[in-house]
Amino acid sequence: MNKVSTSLFALAILVILSALAAITFGPADIDSSQLMACLVGSCQNQIANIIIWQVRIPRVLVALVAGMGLAIAGAILQNTTRNPLADPYLFGIVSGAGLGATIANISLADNLTIALPLAAFLGALFSVVIVVFIAKVLQRMEQLLLAGVAVSFMLASITQFILYFGEPFATNRVIFWLMGSLARVEMSNFYVIASILLIAMITVFALHRQIDALLLGDESAASLGVDVDKLRLLMLGICAALTATIVAYCGGIGFVGLMIPHIVRQLIGVTTLKLIIGSALIGAIFLIWVDVIARSSLPHAEIPIGIITSALGSIFFLFIMYRSRAIT
Amino acid sequence: MSTLLNISGLSWKVLNKTILQDINFTVNKGEVIGIIGPNGAGKTSLLRCIINQANILTSANISGSVHLKNRLITQFSAKEIAQHFALVMQKNDSIFALSVQDVMKMGLLPHKSLFSLDSDYDKSQIELALSKVGLSHALESLFNQLSGGEQQRVLIARALVQASQILILDEPTNHLDVYYQHQVLQLVNKLNITVIMTVHDLNLASLYCQRLLLLDKGQLICDGPPKEVLAPEQLSKIFGLPCQQNFDAITGATQVSFYLEENCMQYSAISEPLSE
Repeated sequence: MNKVSTSLFALAILVILSALAAITFGPADIDSSQLMACLVGSCQNQIANIIIWQVRIPRVLVALVAGMGLAIAGAILQNTTRNPLADPYLFGIVSGAGLGATIANISLADNLTIALPLAAFLGALFSVVIVVFIAKVLQRMEQLLLAGVAVSFMLASITQFILYFGEPFATNRVIFWLMGSLARVEMSNFYVIASILLIAMITVFALHRQIDALLLGDESAASLGVDVDKLRLLMLGICAALTATIVAYCGGIGFVGLMIPHIVRQLIGVTTLKLIIGSALIGAIFLIWVDVIARSSLPHAEIPIGIITSALGSIFFLFIMYRSRAIT
Repeated sequence: MSTLLNISGLSWKVLNKTILQDINFTVNKGEVIGIIGPNGAGKTSLLRCIINQANILTSANISGSVHLKNRLITQFSAKEIAQHFALVMQKNDSIFALSVQDVMKMGLLPHKSLFSLDSDYDKSQIELALSKVGLSHALESLFNQLSGGEQQRVLIARALVQASQILILDEPTNHLDVYYQHQVLQLVNKLNITVIMTVHDLNLASLYCQRLLLLDKGQLICDGPPKEVLAPEQLSKIFGLPCQQNFDAITGATQVSFYLEENCMQYSAISEPLSE
């Protein structure tokens, strides 16, 4: 095994260990022997069994796939746009989801369990459709990011306008949802996110050489037989579906898609296969542990997960900037 | 010699501006052809048409045809075109830290199916191509940290991995100093494959190309060996400067020099007292 394969194998082991360790964290005291007993079906304590299977495992599994999904969405966008700052959030996905959630909250009083994520998903997809439409009209696919930033601000201002005149309780609900949390996730959420993640991974594995060809420029890729615009649009669609699903269930979790691929490039490599596998594994480990911090650092409350990822992400970027200054 | 490419009646107009006008020529297997001409003559546009870049030939304002091995180029898929033509452009930069190996692997793309991974044969082809351009030692080096000449050689090696029959180079010597200009063109010349390249420097083109195509305002003015194409009267008319043809004492190649009348007068004014 070469160095890259060894690193990826070690990371995969770390993902499994992190997931198992994360199950033991939480308000109820569950140690590793109890966990193992419940996992193999010989649990003596029924309450521990229910907590593990119905609360902690769905939550850790959603953290795992959400971390993977956000990280690989960032990695795919960065490689297909050749922009290390590209992030699914810059395409207005969170603003669109926020607008969808706001409309659902204001117009519906009940049944928000299904309506909120559904509206958020539709809002996110709506924003991506507008972004792609603008880029198509301008006939400049490389301006996708700029179009995304503009749409993001536009949708955020509509959301704020609605919230300003909305009922305070609904407004609070939307704001808390936008901060991100895994507190209300269920096993069904895991299945949905995992399915889209699987489709995204298979598509990227199939097209990894085409995506790599983009790294030396559109003209170079076209000369190697790549239909650049089609490929970029397909990848954007996959990233949008992936991020929109995650945002719909977990709310706004920023910086993962920006930060994790950056680390992977330094540690493992820049080409698509290495970057995607590395980002999926490190993204999973990162979000599993951030969720552990979110639910265990305060005695009787949870910190919204988006606050922690944004805080860590901004410190990380300042560190990167400082380090690159020291190098140059 | 077998004919690989046949360009016939190729014309391209954009908003009343002629980009190319009634271009006709053939390319035989193994030829090294240089396309020369002033800025805006249509050199790069001609290359774009030859490889049907971005399906350019299906555009309404282009007429004429390009045949590759007696088959219309528009009937080839993008992948098939990439299997026949390898393109090396003026400048290739990546914002990410690609290794030389990563760049070389791109050349495998036209011959690979979806999901395919690299085989041992692919690796041996990459090593062989790098050894041909004298960069065996650079496999793990970062592409962006190589010199301009080395980067061009890596891209030529990538074209070799692409295993295409025709190598297309757009201004391969731009941004290179004299040493690397000669090194890159000498390398291209020794590859024993068909080469079509645009070249700004007429003397370099003469030295390394068997045949030159002189373009001006979208028209093919002359097609032939360097000695014939680099006729002083013809070049004077096109470049707007007096021109003189001579032969290099060492290589025997046709060379041309341009001069401004006023510079000659200045020179003679300075040199006259010295000659006394």
